[in-house]
Amino acid sequence: MKLRNLFVTMFTAFALAFSAMAGAASQELAAESVLEEIKKRGTLRVGMSTFVPWAMRDKKGDLIGFEIDVATKVAEDMGVQVEFVPTAWSGIIPALIARKFDVIIGGMSITAQRNLTVNFTAPYAHSGQQMVANIELAEGFAVEDFNASDVTIACRRGATPCNAAQELFPKASLARFDDDAQAFQEVVNGNAHAMISSAPKPRFWMGNYPGKLFMPTDENLTTGDEAFALRKGDPDALNFFSNWIVVNTSNGWLKERHDFWFKAQTWKDQVEEQ
Amino acid sequence: MNEARLPPPAEKTRRVTLLDIAIISVVIVVLIYTYHRVEHVLVYTWDWALVFEYVIRVDEITGEIFPNLFLKGVAMTLRLAFWGTIIAAVIGIVMGLCRVSNSLFLKLGSRLYVELIRNIPPVVFIFVFYFFISSQIIPLLGLDRIEQTFSPGTLAVMEVLFGPTDLFTNFLAGLICLAVFEGAYITEIVRAGIQSIDKGQWEAARAIGLSRFRVLSDVIMPQALRTILPPLAGQFITLVKDSSIVSLISVQELTFLTQDVSNTTTHFFEAWMITAALYFMMCFPLAVLFQRFERFGLGIQRT
Repeated sequence: MKLRNLFVTMFTAFALAFSAMAGAASQELAAESVLEEIKKRGTLRVGMSTFVPWAMRDKKGDLIGFEIDVATKVAEDMGVQVEFVPTAWSGIIPALIARKFDVIIGGMSITAQRNLTVNFTAPYAHSGQQMVANIELAEGFAVEDFNASDVTIACRRGATPCNAAQELFPKASLARFDDDAQAFQEVVNGNAHAMISSAPKPRFWMGNYPGKLFMPTDENLTTGDEAFALRKGDPDALNFFSNWIVVNTSNGWLKERHDFWFKAQTWKDQVEEQ
Repeated sequence: MNEARLPPPAEKTRRVTLLDIAIISVVIVVLIYTYHRVEHVLVYTWDWALVFEYVIRVDEITGEIFPNLFLKGVAMTLRLAFWGTIIAAVIGIVMGLCRVSNSLFLKLGSRLYVELIRNIPPVVFIFVFYFFISSQIIPLLGLDRIEQTFSPGTLAVMEVLFGPTDLFTNFLAGLICLAVFEGAYITEIVRAGIQSIDKGQWEAARAIGLSRFRVLSDVIMPQALRTILPPLAGQFITLVKDSSIVSLISVQELTFLTQDVSNTTTHFFEAWMITAALYFMMCFPLAVLFQRFERFGLGIQRT
């Protein structure tokens, strides 16, 4: 009897303490959000990686691209400066977790694996994978024909293209490269039948080598959803960025910018001589 | 006494032997074959002008000249090399002296440091250091908030010394990684140099009543320096080249920016060749300089 009383008192005490702590915790959570940090610092630090036409260097060496426009507008709408932290792609998630920057705006596709480590906002772009093939080696091939054991497909490792290639063409052998340019070069040289990369790069490249390359299909092989990536445990920031994307999708701003960078290459003279 | 250590001068031959001809012709054949492959088999549109623009940019309207990404990368690499050399040398000398000290603690501590670094690949070390250690230490020291702490004047000076201030913490992490890493090798060079001095020198110096410090500074070190200098020079040149690994943690030095340029332009052959030339232009003068030092050093010893 005595013992039971003691338990009851203890439980009540705990329950009271917990409810008080929960109230304090939600305030603390809001205060600890990266949003507060950004406002206090006056700069939004954005992790990104060079990837045409998401983010690249113009002739002056400055960053331009779809992502650069997006991040600049986000910062503008927050009333802070934007600061880009160019980061090697393979280390970009660890760098986010190690607080080297606030958010990844880097054309990162949502995958279950990544989502276990970081939080994703609503998607702000829908890219796909395109395939470009060598005419000499793969003349008249339909997409299915690339799924054969004597076919080699080149792709950038550690990224969506290689995974897509493996799923779509399990019989083909893969040649993995550190970046797209090398993978593409293999196809031009006739060492690989085809390469897979994020749209619109394969289409742009094909234009550089007329008569050597073709696209087996104009459709994208896969569709992806690109989103901002944030550290886990920050619902406020997730809400803010997601809603920013929702608003700018509805008002057409994101589509207009996306079309500018992805559909045509009117920006090309900013990167090279015409 | 010193002459005895130098190898006897090799006999000079001016005659061209059959072996020389064979080697030279193999080299020429390889060069021609490579040229043929690049020119005719490799389908690649060369565009040096486009990539050169990322070295130096001339404004079309005003005609002004700006250093572009490659030169910015060189500046960053030189900053890394300069500070890295100083810090690595300090670490190396302190740790090297610990290696030959009488204290068991210092001996074990420095040994642990050297073995740890020497038996971990640089890339792995850099990742571990960057993501686990530096991201704990730097915020603790308040170094991630320098822009709020320092005046604009100080920041301008820092920009010259350490590169763009918004990426200062990144630079610092890369620099410490590099210095700690190279420091281990310098430690070993210093230790080997000190231990190469005959025991008799120690005993003699002690016998005339010099303190342990004076023995080291007046007797042992001046002699050890001669053994230390050549490998040390080599290690400094290695440091310049090794600085390219910090591109992995996104320090904006030459290798990282070359990746940016080659990704943007897709002219990666030109980009990497230019970078190779730039690294060579940084390291070769150093090699020549150190050779001079070495000869100069030996000259002094002989008199």
